[in-house]
Amino acid sequence: MEKIKPLVLIVDDNSTNIDLLVNTLKNDYRLGVAKNGQKALDYTEKHLPDLILLDIMMPGMNGYEVCTKLKAATRTKDIPVIFITAMTETAHKTKAFEAGALDYITKPFHTAEVKARVRTHLSLKKAREHEMYIASKIQRTLLLGQQPRDINGIQIAQLTIPSQKVDGDFYDFFKLNNQCFDLVVGDVMGKGIPAALLGAAIKSHFLRVLIKLIRLNDKKEFPDPEKIISSVHSSMIDQLEDLETFVTLCYARFDMAKYLLSFVDCGHMRTIHFHADSKTCSLLRGVNMPLGFPEQEPFKQTLVSFNPGDLFVFYSDGLTEAKNQDGVLYGEKRLVDFVQKNATIEPKELINIVRKDVVAFSQSDIFDDDLTCVLVGIEKKSTSQALSDKAKLEIKNDLIELARVRAFVRNFCENITDFSLDNNRISLIELAVTEVTANIIKHAYGERTGEQIQINALLLDDKIVLQFYDWGKEFDPKSVPLPVFDGSQSGGFGLHIISHTVDEVVYSRDDKGRNCVCLKIKLIRED
Amino acid sequence: MELSTEKIGDVTVVTVQTEILDASNAEEFKTAMAPILEENNKVVFEISQIKFMDSSGCGTLLSFLRQLKSSNGNLKLCRVQEPVRMLFELVRIDRIIEIFDTKEEAVKSF
Repeated sequence: MEKIKPLVLIVDDNSTNIDLLVNTLKNDYRLGVAKNGQKALDYTEKHLPDLILLDIMMPGMNGYEVCTKLKAATRTKDIPVIFITAMTETAHKTKAFEAGALDYITKPFHTAEVKARVRTHLSLKKAREHEMYIASKIQRTLLLGQQPRDINGIQIAQLTIPSQKVDGDFYDFFKLNNQCFDLVVGDVMGKGIPAALLGAAIKSHFLRVLIKLIRLNDKKEFPDPEKIISSVHSSMIDQLEDLETFVTLCYARFDMAKYLLSFVDCGHMRTIHFHADSKTCSLLRGVNMPLGFPEQEPFKQTLVSFNPGDLFVFYSDGLTEAKNQDGVLYGEKRLVDFVQKNATIEPKELINIVRKDVVAFSQSDIFDDDLTCVLVGIEKKSTSQALSDKAKLEIKNDLIELARVRAFVRNFCENITDFSLDNNRISLIELAVTEVTANIIKHAYGERTGEQIQINALLLDDKIVLQFYDWGKEFDPKSVPLPVFDGSQSGGFGLHIISHTVDEVVYSRDDKGRNCVCLKIKLIRED
Repeated sequence: MELSTEKIGDVTVVTVQTEILDASNAEEFKTAMAPILEENNKVVFEISQIKFMDSSGCGTLLSFLRQLKSSNGNLKLCRVQEPVRMLFELVRIDRIIEIFDTKEEAVKSF
């Protein structure tokens, strides 16, 4: 297949010059012609030529203005511009370079010179493009991590829009166990292949350090984030100084067992933490300098607790420094406001609308910098858990139902996650509900049979709440004599058992004549 | 309710063959035990099969104890499962009825 020839735009108001240039270049290139500045801009916007030959002296918009405009737009700023000028004074040439030209040719020109310069600049452009291709390939394959699977109660979504100048944004995830994972989001100063390679190197340093620290630890505990960062820093500081660069990053550990985030921030963008309970955002900022700064205080981690429904937004400066046509930055405040307004949307969908908002703001889907954003959403409770969070049972006032009540409560307890609830504790809860239910069955409805008792089980924060409703006669616990423990009596133990097996018992009756016994059982989070 | 009895010397060992002893079957338990308590005054309950007991179950055991003591006998328990043991501690039955790990120890204690 024949390769498509590069497209060269000739901009000149003089037909003789145009004819001459067309004849010189027509065999080797596809050509476009514009006779004034505005037409040149229109043509460029539409066809994106590979190179522009631009006359300086033109009626209306001159060549300098055209070039300045081309260089100001993200889409066209990398197109090489060669000025064609009759002016030989140094001042004019300087002005041309200042406007963004790569080269100039003075009139009258030699066809061989024109051909040579065009060829040279096209091959340089191709080389630059190839570098960008490699850099963006490094970025896609080496710099962006795979999100961890099977972490309970967490949703992750990530977004990257590589710029034309890859600038070393990276992120990665390290899964420690089913309830714990680390996320590192960073940005290497600099652009292109060096930044991309350094980003990849840093990621592998993290892995090495993690493995080393875990192996050194006898108890097989996970090393603290601050220890990991210190170790990575000391193993990379020489390289970073040699390359005269530094790295900003945020290393965050999500512990889903404790609902705790411990993070080390090293001069990175402030992570947004959306709080589901107050519907507000706070910004997480650490106290550490970027990696690569030679004199460092010891790295310090910060602890933040979170709750179901919370959301964390990690991002690179490419996101907040995305510009609109007027050069206004997207900005941290706009991002925070946007997150706050939309935080209840699932992360996978939210990341799409973040992208749309930035693109709509900048009116372009091409950005100067890489744009990276990682969302970590703490799940409210999955659907299956939602069922077990709230359960209901209706029984008749017959003692034969006691077994069903116990099975119902046991099943509810056994489906509770995140809390430690051992078999003995469940047995005691079974005992309490048996006593409550037996009392209601034996006493509430007198001799009447076929009456109803309703039992609700709920998980509220760190408590199990069990509610027993009946529509029988009022019950006053104070009317029951205290138990005697000398073996002389067979009854009276029920209330004693209930109050000693749960954390709280409340007896109440509402205006509709409904009695309620409410048991509360405090739970302890699993370590 | 199924009960099996075994006579070791003058002690009667009753193995209670139910997993649950609560308000729903306490009366049944009483009825089944009545003839045994008529004829024996030294009784050991082997209750290893009982996984769950409530205050009604306790009350029943205490009424057996009173009946046996009134005829100069006694009641002992053996092989109590953990949930039942927790209940006994809660209502302090463990201070009133002697509990043994094995049937042999319970029998020997009379």
